Amino acid sequence: MADGGGATVPDLPLTEAQEGLWYAQRLDPGNPVFNTGQYIEFRGPLDVQAFRAAVDGMVAEADSLALRIQEAPGGATQRLDPALRPWLEVVDLSAATAPLAEAREAMARDMARAMARPGDPARGGLAAERLYRLSRDHHLWYQRAHHLVLDGFGTELLVRRTAALYAARLTGSDPGQPLSPFAATVEEDAAYRASPRRAADAEYWRKAMADAPDVTGMAQGRALTARSSHRAHARIDAATGNALRRIAAAQDLAWPDLLTALLGAYCRRIGGEGEAVLGVTFMNRFGSAAARVPATLMNVLPLRIRMDEALPLHQSVEEVAVQLARLRRHGRYRGEQLRRDLGRVGAGRRLHGAIINIQPFHEIPEFPGLTAELHLLGTGPVDDITFDLRTDPGAATLRLDVEANPSLYSAEETAAHAVRAAHFVSAALTAGCLADVPTATPEEARRLIETVNETGHPVPDTTLTALIEAAVAAHPERTALVFEGQTLSYGALQARSVALAALLAARGIGAGDLVAVSLDRSPELVVALLGILRAGAAYLPLDPAHPADRLARILASARPRLALAQAVLPGGVEVLPPASWPRHGTAPAGPAPGDVAYAIYTSGSTGEPKGAVISHRAIVNRLLWMRDHYGFTAEDRILQKTPATFDVSVWEFFLPLITGASLVLASPGAHRDPSAIARLIRDQRITTAHFVPSMLSAFLAHPQVRGIELARVFCSGEELTPDLRDRFHATVRAELHNLYGPTEAAVDVSYWDASLGDDSRPIPIGRPVWNTRLYVLDEALRPVPPGVTGHLFIAGRQLAREYLGRPDLTAQAFIADPFRPGERMYRTGDLARFRPDGAILYLGRSDGQVKLRGFRIELGEIEAVIASSCLVRQVRVVAREDRPGDKRLVAYLVPAAEYEGPGLRAHVAARLPDYMVPSAFVALDALPVNTSGKLDRAALPAPGMQQRRGRPPESETERRLAQLFAEVLDLPEIGAEEDFFALGGHSLLAVDLMLRVQETFGRDPGLGALFERPTVARLAALIDAAALPPSDDGLRPLIRLAQGEETRAPLFVVHPAGGIAWCYGNLARALAPGRSVLGLQAPSLDAEVPPPASLDALAADYVDRILASAPPGPIHLAGWSVGGIIAHAMAVRLRELGHAVGALALLDAYPADAWRAEPEPDAAAIFRALLVIAGHDPAQHPDLPMHREAVIDFLRQGGTPLGRLPEAALDGVVRVVEGNNRLVRGHRHRRFGGTVTHFRAARDHAGRALSPAMWAPYAGRLEVVDVPALHGEMVGGRATGLIAPVLGALLDS
Amino acid sequence: MADAMNPPMTRERMRADLARALRMEAEEIGDDDNLDDLGLDSMRAMNLVMRWTEAGLQLDFGELAEKVTLGAWWAVAERAMAKRAHG
Repeated sequence: MADGGGATVPDLPLTEAQEGLWYAQRLDPGNPVFNTGQYIEFRGPLDVQAFRAAVDGMVAEADSLALRIQEAPGGATQRLDPALRPWLEVVDLSAATAPLAEAREAMARDMARAMARPGDPARGGLAAERLYRLSRDHHLWYQRAHHLVLDGFGTELLVRRTAALYAARLTGSDPGQPLSPFAATVEEDAAYRASPRRAADAEYWRKAMADAPDVTGMAQGRALTARSSHRAHARIDAATGNALRRIAAAQDLAWPDLLTALLGAYCRRIGGEGEAVLGVTFMNRFGSAAARVPATLMNVLPLRIRMDEALPLHQSVEEVAVQLARLRRHGRYRGEQLRRDLGRVGAGRRLHGAIINIQPFHEIPEFPGLTAELHLLGTGPVDDITFDLRTDPGAATLRLDVEANPSLYSAEETAAHAVRAAHFVSAALTAGCLADVPTATPEEARRLIETVNETGHPVPDTTLTALIEAAVAAHPERTALVFEGQTLSYGALQARSVALAALLAARGIGAGDLVAVSLDRSPELVVALLGILRAGAAYLPLDPAHPADRLARILASARPRLALAQAVLPGGVEVLPPASWPRHGTAPAGPAPGDVAYAIYTSGSTGEPKGAVISHRAIVNRLLWMRDHYGFTAEDRILQKTPATFDVSVWEFFLPLITGASLVLASPGAHRDPSAIARLIRDQRITTAHFVPSMLSAFLAHPQVRGIELARVFCSGEELTPDLRDRFHATVRAELHNLYGPTEAAVDVSYWDASLGDDSRPIPIGRPVWNTRLYVLDEALRPVPPGVTGHLFIAGRQLAREYLGRPDLTAQAFIADPFRPGERMYRTGDLARFRPDGAILYLGRSDGQVKLRGFRIELGEIEAVIASSCLVRQVRVVAREDRPGDKRLVAYLVPAAEYEGPGLRAHVAARLPDYMVPSAFVALDALPVNTSGKLDRAALPAPGMQQRRGRPPESETERRLAQLFAEVLDLPEIGAEEDFFALGGHSLLAVDLMLRVQETFGRDPGLGALFERPTVARLAALIDAAALPPSDDGLRPLIRLAQGEETRAPLFVVHPAGGIAWCYGNLARALAPGRSVLGLQAPSLDAEVPPPASLDALAADYVDRILASAPPGPIHLAGWSVGGIIAHAMAVRLRELGHAVGALALLDAYPADAWRAEPEPDAAAIFRALLVIAGHDPAQHPDLPMHREAVIDFLRQGGTPLGRLPEAALDGVVRVVEGNNRLVRGHRHRRFGGTVTHFRAARDHAGRALSPAMWAPYAGRLEVVDVPALHGEMVGGRATGLIAPVLGALLDS
Repeated sequence: MADAMNPPMTRERMRADLARALRMEAEEIGDDDNLDDLGLDSMRAMNLVMRWTEAGLQLDFGELAEKVTLGAWWAVAERAMAKRAHG
């Protein structure tokens, strides 16, 4: 067989397209998705000889299939290697029992094997051609190629060329032009790289994308290249296909462009943002000498979808068509390069979301006498989701294939996207206007409006007071109420509240009246509420701690008839203090079910609080649902600690009283004191308590809380996070329930069981309670499909009647239910999403409202108060969460001439409750705005972070590098001379940083470089240097962690179990600049290095390495954990060789004898150790299977830096952890005659027989230094702060 | 179906179709003008090829893409028609 002359071709550089893929594969070497594979199924009499000649003829022309790619200084290169040409292999399976199954299995195995060669396209052939003969009339032609050498169009070229050659053999037809040589691609790439056109293209793209939004995609989560994908497909029918062609032709558009625009509109709908950025594939072959080269040329470029759906269809897609035409004009410019230009590198910063790939010529060419059907086995990496459309000229139907990243989409969601997108396209072409097209399919709409809301349940039409009186009648002697040691029976409580009711009735107060209550938590408060209800009136709770100004505004709008309060209230309302209440009286007529039970004021966006008015009927539904659903009985003891102004208090007060249970009141103020609550729960044998999540978090952190048991804990008022749930179950034994609801719908309308075993992330707000419907709708009030964010609406029995005295606000918030004529629904202002299973996720507020410590706060209300001070010219209030779980309000303002900070704070504090007073006021010259004129939240400085140390970054490299530092460290900005590690750069974060450096600059200085040059300025100098020193991956056996004075003896630190010594970064910096610190790391991190035979052999090897570096002075050694054992053995060895040993410091290390006594760890223990090394607590992840794949996947997905180590290094760590266990167990200590200094982790090892004294037999002298830390914290910043001075003195002595 | 007497394509029809897609007069398109420079992008080209294919002229887009002049395209079309006549 003639070869294409490849042997004489010199090394070629990679093309830009190849470089992008090379990088991606290098970052994730074991990732299989970079291989593409397919097979064509032939039915009919295949002439195997002719077919072999045709495929081999094609292979002889297709140079790229024979490329060998290798790493070289200055970047990878490639070369044609004739030995790699994948001549057709014929596998005869016709004698097999199940030939088809065997062939499929063989292909799957081959795909897997191609992927399993860890990481390296450099090693072997990148392509394969195989024919499976299943029978005389049934063959499968399998083709595999790495994406580095072939794209989809290239694959089609190969198939067409093979078909032409086969037909020529059989029929004598003209085989046509041979494929063009690969070198044409490289030449053209080089020419383009050097051309002015490239610069012009770069400029075009920079402008086109300048104000593009951050890409969020259609699913939540980080779009990391996944190792597999979900696939689904749908058919676009002939009617739709014809309409597409007709409408496109009428508008003078190419139909693929119209289809791209429609799918873009679909993706924009799903994303729920004003603008979606899609990726469109561009073949990149038109007008190119490389058009007929089978190679990888395809480019993916961003397309911005921001259409006006209200326009007629052809107008709303016009802008997209114009953009597509421009995109093609500038389509040679690589998407990967554009991503770097725009600084969109690193996790979460992307160029585009969904990809749309339309292939109008998909037909398989004719193989004479055969029918051929294509089967795809893999088409390349899918970061997010890809919509592939295939059809052929003349065919009206289209096939839509959806491929999705499994870390972002479930199989179910992927299938739904296929069906829904096809439906959307079809509906859009019929509707003539995108705004008229619903996102959900009719089946989805039915399910989401009806099926999930089938909550009908009979509830008696009664009142709260009737229910309570039934409980009183059933057991008058039982304890109704407990408060600070006093108790009140049902009978007594009834008598007192009836007496109060009688007094109110005597004053003419009854149904339709409002009575204010402003009392501290006490039995009187409960008597007041019951008395008001018993009189038929409604109560209006007021917090005595709120500012007088707010109370005055509420009283002025609500105009209660009377107030039950300790003290005088603003506005002159008559006050009846508890001392004046009667002890006896006769019950007046009670309320009717439709009467109002209470009115609770919440924050209002207009700056005015608004009062939600709730009827007995509404709250009775809520309370009876809760009693029944959770099985409350008279034995329950329910804690009441929520202020009466917050509607959670409503069930805390009344659920026990309608159940015959006991209501236990916390002391006033105790609701903010975790230890007081813990005491109360224990002493009073509380069965049920409620916590706002932020309070629960504080509660769990308190030492007295551990081990508390109750029946159930309810959370509401804020988002309950999975981490908090997991902490809860690690600390407390109780069921945990997540409830959701606004004050406007009788406390709660949905529930989710977050008890032990729930592993949802995020935790849903769940499903609707009895007689309640929840809708998630778009702006046009149409249901949105699962997975899509929409506005949450509530309908059903629990809705508030109105906002007190505000028919305008009532009309805005309570609108007609479009799905139930004659009924109302409430617009919550919350964003939500259905999970595929019908549970609802809460996604925050759609307006300026935030929830903080359980309080709903309208930021506008705060802004209005600040503006009213006349001290500022402009103000915006923002809720920031700079540290997870630490949400606070910050006011950003442009000061007026008379501005002074303390005065403004006083003004605000006098008018708003404390939870609404911003924790920081930040004065700025101007409020940053983005191009659309909106506040640019990302540009707002975190309070207290405005001071930057040192000079700012100056050169372009410094600025880009500073941005990467800032991203990795999660800081707003970084000075040029700030130290990465000093800023909290966990040493493993360094891996993350250096990967981003590689992505951004296309250069890889290596991790080792960062340890030596930890500032932006110094690292930038290295990157800008003309010649980069050889990359240092930081995994060499001896690495420098800190540079000190040349003449002083350095400290050698020995790696712990994982084999990596980066963990000593803190210690190294604490001892610098005086002293150098060098780290010893396991040589067997490199798979080529065999593991050491024994710990002594390892120690001897390390000693050799140290001596080879010829350090001055005595050898100082330190080691943490396993590193301490090795350091001790090294000290013995050094003495043996006659070398002086200086300090020998063991950081919480214990002799091997201690470990031999423990049971042999199983494989799971190794992986638990790996989790600990990566900074995770294995106890927090009980469901994670402890085997290699699962743990490594977890680490990769979790975004931990260890998880981003190259595959080979991670393998090395696993191997070393296993090996070290073996070495330690087999080790026999010898005696070291000098002094061993043991730094003991004094807060750890409780209950275990580990003591520094165990070293006594093996040491001349033993000194012990107690460090108040846990074992795992010994190299952390705080412990190092204590250890370094002691160790430093030891080294100096 | 096209036959030798009634070919699916002529050089002048190709020129006219291109002119319409480019919003130009047919005379403005010379045989050796780079169609790319005249504003023909890959999608417009593909649209034309799809229409020609539907009219019975089987063209390989890869071959057309290599050199984008009317002269080169006509040569590809002639070869395709000859092949069809023989095949």
